[in-house]
Amino acid sequence: MKILVVDDFSTMRRIIKNLLRDLGFTNTTEADDGLTAMPILQAGGIDFLVTDWNMPGMQGIDLLKAVRADENLSHLPVLMVTAETKREQIIEAAQAGVNGYIVKPFTAGTLKDKIDKIFERIDAG
Amino acid sequence: MESLNSSELLDVARDLVAALESNDEHEAQIHLADLTQAQESDLFHEVGTLTRELHESLNNFNVDPKLINMAQHDMPDTRARLNYVINTTEEAAHNTLGLIDKTLPLSDSLKDTAQKIEDSWHRFRMREMGVDEFRSLSSEIESYLPKVKTQADQIHENLSEMTLAQGFQDLTGQVIRQVISLVEEVENNLVELVKIAGKHQAESNKDGNKADLIKAEGPQIDNTKANVVNNQDEVDDLLSSLGF
Repeated sequence: MKILVVDDFSTMRRIIKNLLRDLGFTNTTEADDGLTAMPILQAGGIDFLVTDWNMPGMQGIDLLKAVRADENLSHLPVLMVTAETKREQIIEAAQAGVNGYIVKPFTAGTLKDKIDKIFERIDAG
Repeated sequence: MESLNSSELLDVARDLVAALESNDEHEAQIHLADLTQAQESDLFHEVGTLTRELHESLNNFNVDPKLINMAQHDMPDTRARLNYVINTTEEAAHNTLGLIDKTLPLSDSLKDTAQKIEDSWHRFRMREMGVDEFRSLSSEIESYLPKVKTQADQIHENLSEMTLAQGFQDLTGQVIRQVISLVEEVENNLVELVKIAGKHQAESNKDGNKADLIKAEGPQIDNTKANVVNNQDEVDDLLSSLGF
């Protein structure tokens, strides 16, 4: 299970990577916005995407839409971890096909909970 | 020509009518010219006043050294200050995370050794231990105790450093306050500019369009806004209402 963590702040990438490591996901890689994330995803081998919303270059919501529009990536599970808390944004992300939405600041428990739920649904589907 | 009051206007008009009735074309032309001139004079006067006011306002605005200083110095300075906030908080977070990485193995190794000694001690109490094994347990305890002290000291030191690393809050808080006061000043000057231009501040579009509504804004400072969720539970409720 290889996870791509996309956030423009290196501290947040580090925090998420550390939390994922504690959850047993040791194989992670990073990108700092949608533009750098897309080539990594297209190169293949990524099983799960964790992305921020508000980033320079290509934003997380546009990355999500690009992933869903790409036939090789359309089924990739995407978890959004963001400080964006407007209802319209959450609805937009849901309609764009996000698999989970976590608001910052968050806890290790929330991260585990959402990742577990995403895999439960994938297994059930 | 000075502008005419209403009784003067009426007089000129009567003269004009009289001249037209008596078919005196020359006289009628003169009165008509008087009327037109009176009206133009009012208009010129008004435009002149407005032009002078605008000119003075713009002059005053241009020469306000505070505003020039703000544009040339304070704005670039503010960018630098905000970058400082990003760098300082980033450094503090890395610093703290690094200290955690150094501290966790220390407490783990203390626990592991204690567990090992506890198991051996239990066997000793149950009289299940030979003399040689007891000697080795004894030397293990002997080396463990000073190790506890050294590692506890190291943990203490790391925790103190973590406490120190939180000093970024004070530093960045001060800088952000300065930025807030500059923003207030800029806001006041913009309001003045809007007044000078004689325009009313447009009512902000309350509905907004979709692009604005989903535009990334970063952390919400005011969580009391109607369209903002306050915590993960509200996110989950909203998503489950959408069939998630």
